[in-house]
Amino acid sequence: MAEQTGTIVSVTAADLAKRNGEPGWLRDARNAAWNAFQSLPAPRLEKTDLRDRSWDLGPYPSTPGPASDEVAELVAKLAGQPLVYVRDGFTVALHLPETWVEQGVVLLDLTTAAREHSAVVQAHLGTVVKEDESKWAALNTALWNGGLFLYVPRGVEMDQPVHFVYEETGQAAGGAPRALVVADENSRVSYVEVHFTGQAADKVHAGVTEVIAKAGAKVTASVVTQYRKGPNHLSVRRASVGNDATVDWVFSDIGDGFSVVLLESDLVGQGSQSTIQGIGIGTGRQHLDLTASVLHHGRYSTSDIRLHGVIKQRANAVYRSSTHIFKNAVGAGSEQHDRMLMLDKRARADAIPMLLIDENDVQRCGHAASVGRMDENQIYYLMSRGIPRVEATKMILWGYLEPTVQRVSSDVIREYLAARIDRELEA
Amino acid sequence: MFEIEDLRVSVEDKEIVRGLNLTLRGGEIHAIMGPNGTGKSTLASALMGHPAYEVTGGRVTLDGEDVLEMAVDERARKGMFLAMQYPAEVPGVSNANFIRTALNARLGEGNEVPVIKFHRELQAQMKRLNIDPVFAERYLNEGFSGGEKKRNEILQMVMLKPRVVILDEIDSGLDIDALKIVAEAVNSMRSPEVTFLIITHYQRLLQYIVPDHVHVMMQGRIVRSGGRELAERLEAEGYDWLKHELGIEDETVGAQA
Repeated sequence: MAEQTGTIVSVTAADLAKRNGEPGWLRDARNAAWNAFQSLPAPRLEKTDLRDRSWDLGPYPSTPGPASDEVAELVAKLAGQPLVYVRDGFTVALHLPETWVEQGVVLLDLTTAAREHSAVVQAHLGTVVKEDESKWAALNTALWNGGLFLYVPRGVEMDQPVHFVYEETGQAAGGAPRALVVADENSRVSYVEVHFTGQAADKVHAGVTEVIAKAGAKVTASVVTQYRKGPNHLSVRRASVGNDATVDWVFSDIGDGFSVVLLESDLVGQGSQSTIQGIGIGTGRQHLDLTASVLHHGRYSTSDIRLHGVIKQRANAVYRSSTHIFKNAVGAGSEQHDRMLMLDKRARADAIPMLLIDENDVQRCGHAASVGRMDENQIYYLMSRGIPRVEATKMILWGYLEPTVQRVSSDVIREYLAARIDRELEA
Repeated sequence: MFEIEDLRVSVEDKEIVRGLNLTLRGGEIHAIMGPNGTGKSTLASALMGHPAYEVTGGRVTLDGEDVLEMAVDERARKGMFLAMQYPAEVPGVSNANFIRTALNARLGEGNEVPVIKFHRELQAQMKRLNIDPVFAERYLNEGFSGGEKKRNEILQMVMLKPRVVILDEIDSGLDIDALKIVAEAVNSMRSPEVTFLIITHYQRLLQYIVPDHVHVMMQGRIVRSGGRELAERLEAEGYDWLKHELGIEDETVGAQA
């Protein structure tokens, strides 16, 4: 089973299902996904060729490695807050304050949830990200290891953000985190995931997050990644947004890795809304293929995509914003803003706006995209007041990134990200 | 003392300032007047060090120190200030943060102004300049009207307390009330240590800020200097009499005398 159609994978779905004592439905789902993975081709995407890339994953560590100082410090600051902390596939910390337990909120690692809340997990897992939609979605579905499950009952408004901290140590050989967030009708929650991925070469890091916002629910999902040089990072994060529900994505990646990232909202409900606000700092020889996409199915659904990229050194980044308004999505409206700054001569940036409209009766659908270098007039202006060039540049870049950083809905993670950006802009 | 000797400035290989001499002593207010296209704003930008303006000859010194050798930020930290005609907009950077960073850069490490003291001073100066307090947290010049930008330049001037102040057409786009407020701010900064170089088309501003010296610029150099009566005559009679006296047909740069 480990070697078929030329694909080598060092762990198997059967091993995982057995190790975790998973229910039969999950074992079946993993097996079906494994078959899909084997039969799906490694594609050549518009801007990224995956045909000759490794698809190897594992072996998974048998015990978690030691936490990095950076993550240990971050987790310490999250003490008392809703948290699932996974390291090398193992849940090493789990906390949900009593007040939320009493209101019926469920926060667990996904493996435990699949056993203890089998019905609700089964009803939602794999409904937003289908196992056969891409080779990496299939791989994650077959072999996910370490994950989060969050259920917020009808009408419950969580005023504390829920954190998913996912860490891979030096012993990790790729990884496959999986998160499932279900916000029931008229509930409200902020979900924040922070990833510290490993640097093992010739491996795959395939991540999947599914968010389900039922009618009237309001979800903010913040995703902070650092996709670094090493594995091939392939991830899908998608939200299904019901009637009058809202999902706001905030995304940040700082890295030098090889990554294909999809963030998507499927506006299935009437009057559903979504924003996707993303920033990136690319360094080294990064290859980032980022897509922020909204699918408008519901009538009067609205969306807004804003991407800001800073591309340094020899990084090569593609920021694609895509809006698809399907037939019958009467009255839908969307905006896109895509801006990229190249800081160094050999940095490369592509901003690709895509707008597909199948319905005649829509509101305004606007888009603006630009790729350029820093504005010398801005630098001159700040310098003319005594601010040195290096600091002036940093201030301008901060100004460019900050509105997105401010939207990260956890104070601890927002401060962490700000410090992380500071460090990157100093470099 | 701020001295300009035989200054020559080119923009895109075209010489715009063509051998300009000027000496400004502490406490003096100098006005440079002249029609459009005679090199006044180019002079201002070159003195501050704008990268698009190439100094091809001459000397500029501040208390004997070579200004042209200094980077833009260094000039500012030595006390030079240019109120710009078209200041840049910088989204994401708040006005207050910008001014505080600039002030601290001027004061130097270890001498930073305490945050609360800074904000108190900023609010007081904004009130004096009739600037809505919300502008402290607005992004730098973003969405400001022409007049708001000008007042914001003056706000920076009074906060940074420079000793060589160059005002590049600060009066354009200001109504009479705003003009009076700006003039009052400039006058309040007058001291034996501070020198002003005021560039303007019109004599209007000079009714409120009384210059010690008035210079007329044509074809990239100063062609006539005098006292405030020179400004008054130009306002009353225009530039034609002066052109006639000097034998100049076209006063703009590039035209041959």
